[in-house]
Amino acid sequence: MVKKATLIDIAKFSLLVIAAGWLLVRGSSQAGYNWQWYQVPRYLFTIEDGVFIPGPLLDGLWITLQITGCSLVLATIIGLLTALLRLSNSLVGRIMARVYLEIIRNTPLLVQIFIIYFVLAPIFNLERFLAAVIALSLFEGAYASEIFRAGIVSIHRGQWEAAHSIGLSVFDTWRTIILPQAVTRILPPLTSQAVSLIKDSALVSTIAVYDLTMQGRVVIAETFLTFEIWFTVAAIYLVLTLSLSQVASLLEKRARCRVW
Amino acid sequence: MNRENQHRDELMSDIIIQVSSLYKTFSATIPALVDFSAQVSRGEVLVVIGPSGSGKSTFLRCLNGLEEIDSGTIIIDGIPLDENEKNRLEIRREVGMVFQSFNLFPHKNVAENINLAQRLVRKKSRDQAMQTTMDLLRKVGMVEKAESYPAELSGGQQQRVAIARALALRPKVMLFDEATSALDPEMIGEVLEVMSTLAREGMTMVVVTHEMGFAREVSDRIIFMEDGRIIEQGETESFFLAPKEERTKRFLDQIL
Repeated sequence: MVKKATLIDIAKFSLLVIAAGWLLVRGSSQAGYNWQWYQVPRYLFTIEDGVFIPGPLLDGLWITLQITGCSLVLATIIGLLTALLRLSNSLVGRIMARVYLEIIRNTPLLVQIFIIYFVLAPIFNLERFLAAVIALSLFEGAYASEIFRAGIVSIHRGQWEAAHSIGLSVFDTWRTIILPQAVTRILPPLTSQAVSLIKDSALVSTIAVYDLTMQGRVVIAETFLTFEIWFTVAAIYLVLTLSLSQVASLLEKRARCRVW
Repeated sequence: MNRENQHRDELMSDIIIQVSSLYKTFSATIPALVDFSAQVSRGEVLVVIGPSGSGKSTFLRCLNGLEEIDSGTIIIDGIPLDENEKNRLEIRREVGMVFQSFNLFPHKNVAENINLAQRLVRKKSRDQAMQTTMDLLRKVGMVEKAESYPAELSGGQQQRVAIARALALRPKVMLFDEATSALDPEMIGEVLEVMSTLAREGMTMVVVTHEMGFAREVSDRIIFMEDGRIIEQGETESFFLAPKEERTKRFLDQIL
């Protein structure tokens, strides 16, 4: 019975996709758009004499991966430190963390990128790649810190007391008892934060970092393949974020098996 | 050295827990401990009883610094429990504690739970730690579960592992905070048995419990407290046979 229901669902879904596709094709032909999908592959990659040469879109993807990779590491560190500060006994630490959070969460990322690139980068002599990484890390770090904080607070008080009662130092308690359990719990929300990071990274194209989005714009400016290239770029982002979610759910399953 | 000093030294070495005039309040209106003084000798088993909310657990938790005291002194094996973080850590390493809700580390298996303090605090190698761990697991009858995770164990099994974990640093004192209160009735026996064995081996124990049969059988001395104060204390037999205070009699009538 389950199978039949699934089949019907698939049929409905396919019908919807076909309808949407038909609307798109009809609409674009009415607008006089001339589809040239055959042109697209060469902007992804070419093969000359059996040698693989990445095209501009793959070059851009590589930059996007670098930026999100660096930002992910940095945002995790910033997020964890901010969470620890907010939970600390130090009043100054708590205030600092709070001010950082409120500023970052209540201003647009695009404005933050501009401030860091146009104001701070000249002062501190930062390259645009670095400026992009810093802006994204500060932004995502603020959200990551709230996730960390929730995860840490959710650990039962008894775990702290047990760790104290066997004489573990504060540092060892965090390292071996609290954080490992907290991280397992926050892996799902942390993953969706990482997915946001990938998507938000498209904004760095505004400061002329040649990421996937920027390369897409450049290719379109040269070729006028507007529809094809934007669809391709979107598909690449989609593959990236979906595979990240997949990896995370695998990790989560493994962690859960061991813990619960 | 004159006679008086010698006598005092003997006394000092015999007394392992020295608590004088503890005061502790959780909120302005509810005192948890009021002018609470007690001593525990080496090898003694002291059972603390009293109605719920009387401050039994608070007293126990003060002994290893899980609760801050407002005033008073706690000295354990010659080390004062004070602001000094080093002293506090040292005392926690000399004092094992067993909780009502077990509090095993769910992300670590049984052996790792017991290895942890040995490795991090005593800096033992994995093999050295494992040797002690297996000895302790044998003692509490849990050897075959060394690789299991806490969630795979029954409450009684978890509590036995928790006792082994508390023993891993070879503590001089063991604190039991209602160790059997969260257990299903059929599992209480196995945990009490491990506790009795420890007592017979001469471990110094401070036990908060509602198990009067166990208290009577195992303890040397009883403290009965209410509203943060000691109402009555005495040798176990005489305490149960001939309680002096009216309040104690009423309490014993209710629970026996």
